[in-house]
Amino acid sequence: MTISVTRHPSLATWLLAAGTILFFAVPNGRTQLNGVQHASDFTSVEYFEPPHQQQMKSRLSGAEAQPQAGGLLLIKQLKLEMFNVDGRTEMIVNAPECVYDTFNGTASSPGHLQLQTGDGKFRVEGEGFLWRQTNSFLTISNSVRTVIEGMPALPASGQGAGK
Amino acid sequence: MKLIVKNICLIALMAMTAGTRLNAQTNTNAALEFSHEPTRIDSESANLDLTGHKVVYRGHVRVDDPQMKLACQWLTVDLPEPGGRVDHIVAETNVVMNFVDARGNPARATGSRAVYSYQVHNGMTNETITLTGNPEIDTADAQSKGDVIVWDRISNQLRFINPKIISRQNLDGTLGGTNRPPAKTNPPAGTIGNAGGTIPNQP
Repeated sequence: MTISVTRHPSLATWLLAAGTILFFAVPNGRTQLNGVQHASDFTSVEYFEPPHQQQMKSRLSGAEAQPQAGGLLLIKQLKLEMFNVDGRTEMIVNAPECVYDTFNGTASSPGHLQLQTGDGKFRVEGEGFLWRQTNSFLTISNSVRTVIEGMPALPASGQGAGK
Repeated sequence: MKLIVKNICLIALMAMTAGTRLNAQTNTNAALEFSHEPTRIDSESANLDLTGHKVVYRGHVRVDDPQMKLACQWLTVDLPEPGGRVDHIVAETNVVMNFVDARGNPARATGSRAVYSYQVHNGMTNETITLTGNPEIDTADAQSKGDVIVWDRISNQLRFINPKIISRQNLDGTLGGTNRPPAKTNPPAGTIGNAGGTIPNQP
């Protein structure tokens, strides 16, 4: 089943989109409101508020979303793209798997997470993470590795300080 | 007269050993070359504030930069806007920086806090690392201390506020080898002086 959700202006964040996607999914052009179901190859897009309502704010996609007990949602092959009002990509997040708590608005996983800015100059990855939807706060618990590109080099005339 | 000569000797010594320039200009409009080598940061954990565009690294933080290696316990990086560049980094607690000085010798800087800053105003670029909290720089020639040490990454100069420099080298260029206790200079802020003191000589 392929699900494409094209507009959810009421969704404040991507994770809220993940939590509600199964209620507002549109398979084969029909809206389903009959409860949480398994979904695959889904995409959810959130748009900015007016006057930028034509611009995508975020796009969430995943290979699979599986409801779990206790209001949890298991998402596989998560990809989140965040955009600014100019249409430029601000950030891209990838995680092979995570569990979204629809009640508490958190997403977590003991597994891998990768995040990079739109221009790719700032990349972070690590093992184990917790995302708090309320304040857009992400904690990476272990083995954090960051790469920053484009830092200025020293003048060619010298290396190091104390010239 | 004797005092003046000693002061001149001290200034020469500072320039010779630590490469200090007390009034270094930090502004330049020279075009910057951007490194092809990325800066890498490793840590035990990290908190990313995606609204505030800020990352805080914690626990055994290691920064591997083309110009230096830095270790600390706490590092805060301000994330740039898309297409922008990192312009503010704060390293705290047991900060250690290892780099190569102008003579190609290894140097080591320590302190409790280091602040990296990159700013462009009216076409003038400033890029500095400011070290505070008992900052100290050790080179093969000298041990240099100050209340504040500023490394100007554009002009590649070190600037000390209230400098205290202990040389490991005699004025004739030979390495000091006596067992005399190290003499310390401790002039008032903004001045250079060693009145009545000995020429520093640190084994």
